[in-house]
Amino acid sequence: MTTDMLAVTGGTKIFYRGTLDERRALDGLNIALRPGDFCIVIGSNGAGKSSFLNAVSGKLPLDSGRIKIDGQDVTKLNAHRRAQFIARVFQDPMIGTAPTMTIGENMLLAELRGKPRGFSYGLTTARKARYREQLSELNLGLENRLDMPVGLLSGGQRQSLSLVMAVSTRPKLLLLDEHTAALDPRTAKLVMDTTVRAVEELKLTTLMVTHNMEHAIKYGNKIVMMDAGKVLLEIGQEEKNGITVPDLIDRFHTKSDAIALQGS
Amino acid sequence: MLDILTSFYGLIPVTIAQSLIVAFVVLGVMLPFRILNFPDLTSEGAFPLGGCVCGTLITMGVNPFLACGVALLCGFLAGCTTAFIHLRFKINTLLAGILVMTMLYSINLRIMGRTNIPLFTYDTIFTILAGPSANVSWVKIIIVGALIALVVGAMLYFFMSEKGTSMRAVGASPDMAEAQGINVSIATIMGVGVASALSATGGSIMVQTQGFVDVNMGFGILINGLAALIIGEAITGRQTIFRQVMAPVVGSIVYYQLISFCLTLGLAPADLKFATGAFVLLMLALPNLRKSGSGTQIREKVRE
Repeated sequence: MTTDMLAVTGGTKIFYRGTLDERRALDGLNIALRPGDFCIVIGSNGAGKSSFLNAVSGKLPLDSGRIKIDGQDVTKLNAHRRAQFIARVFQDPMIGTAPTMTIGENMLLAELRGKPRGFSYGLTTARKARYREQLSELNLGLENRLDMPVGLLSGGQRQSLSLVMAVSTRPKLLLLDEHTAALDPRTAKLVMDTTVRAVEELKLTTLMVTHNMEHAIKYGNKIVMMDAGKVLLEIGQEEKNGITVPDLIDRFHTKSDAIALQGS
Repeated sequence: MLDILTSFYGLIPVTIAQSLIVAFVVLGVMLPFRILNFPDLTSEGAFPLGGCVCGTLITMGVNPFLACGVALLCGFLAGCTTAFIHLRFKINTLLAGILVMTMLYSINLRIMGRTNIPLFTYDTIFTILAGPSANVSWVKIIIVGALIALVVGAMLYFFMSEKGTSMRAVGASPDMAEAQGINVSIATIMGVGVASALSATGGSIMVQTQGFVDVNMGFGILINGLAALIIGEAITGRQTIFRQVMAPVVGSIVYYQLISFCLTLGLAPADLKFATGAFVLLMLALPNLRKSGSGTQIREKVRE
């Protein structure tokens, strides 16, 4: 039996504990991903999807519960220490990249994620050549603009760059936090296609949060529905084949209150 | 008019020497403001701290180079303290800087034991390097210029190294930096520390050229530094790290020539701080007046 790539057991996070505003963002969350799983996380606003991703990445320390990545307990590790295992693409294209720095420098930052950084020269010729090659697969012409500040790129270009930066190091775990939600439909599709290609090619264990039910059905091998900080429903590969958007919403509704969902 | 030009011309070397010394402070202002996005006022206290530590050690017979080194170290600690106060207690960066700066005033007085110390009779790095010609402006320019060139070169190399790139990322996007495995707190503390170390070094060199230490010597140095930085950036631009690191040096040289010119034209020295403040205010307000949003904005951001 191989170890789970990600295992969250009893993950609990309570905001404003002991006050009238007490809110259980995560309430005894249990989730396990096998190596190579492409898991789609859905749920209404406030269901705990973002808290879940933040807990995994280390941005949100758990009150109780454990998180293991590839068998190693990371519960106590800070976000920047967990970065050696995890790559993340944020919803906001502005957050995932350093806007005032060049494309090449951003690629450098990603390449050294979780590795020791020394005083040696950063953007060597060899590295630049490698980055050009990696970026050329996007077909956006970014490979010819290594010296351009990322802030001058469009949202779609920045998100594509974030994706290349995230996958180029073959992280143990890839976190996608509604990473196409802020893009126009055409660009969103482009970024999504690139995502799927990279995830399948590199067999990355992936957690993708989305509000788009069609994406949830179309991509990945596992759907996790969250509600009130817990996993409401898990749908595996076999069940997932043949399921339709109305089916999915129906199952969601029978399990929880009526929720307005995008893509229905 | 001719006398004014002649007297201005005569002052050029002295002013260049002075501006190169202040360039250390301007570099120390630029680093937190521009690279780390951490508006910092510690320089105002670190500059006299460097002067007091260095001057006191020199009067105790310590080697002037060693005295400068100790001053640099003290400045570094002052900067680290400011950054730590901000990060640990979530206190606004400007307030953290004012706290440290105010406390440093007492510390500076304690170090010196009085409000000023003359250094005329002691050896300085200038008398050691240049002997009897130590007071010639061109000699000072060469010595301080070489030091500044060294610092600028080191900073440029550092900011293009793996570690330096990650420090810049902390200022550009703290969330992104953290997600790339960069320890945002450590990078911030080290960066602000180095910035104050530069300011303290400027102070330690300043006391050795002016021949005395005064506990009030730093008053207004930060706004002077900011004004010089803004002028420098207007000349060199900020598009590349090379331009950003050159801006303080260029700005300092141009700014002090401007001041010298205004003074020879008849601007009363008493009005100087008002004029400088008004200039900085105007430059900071311009982007807002134009509603363009870009330009010399200084943002306050609390890191978590």
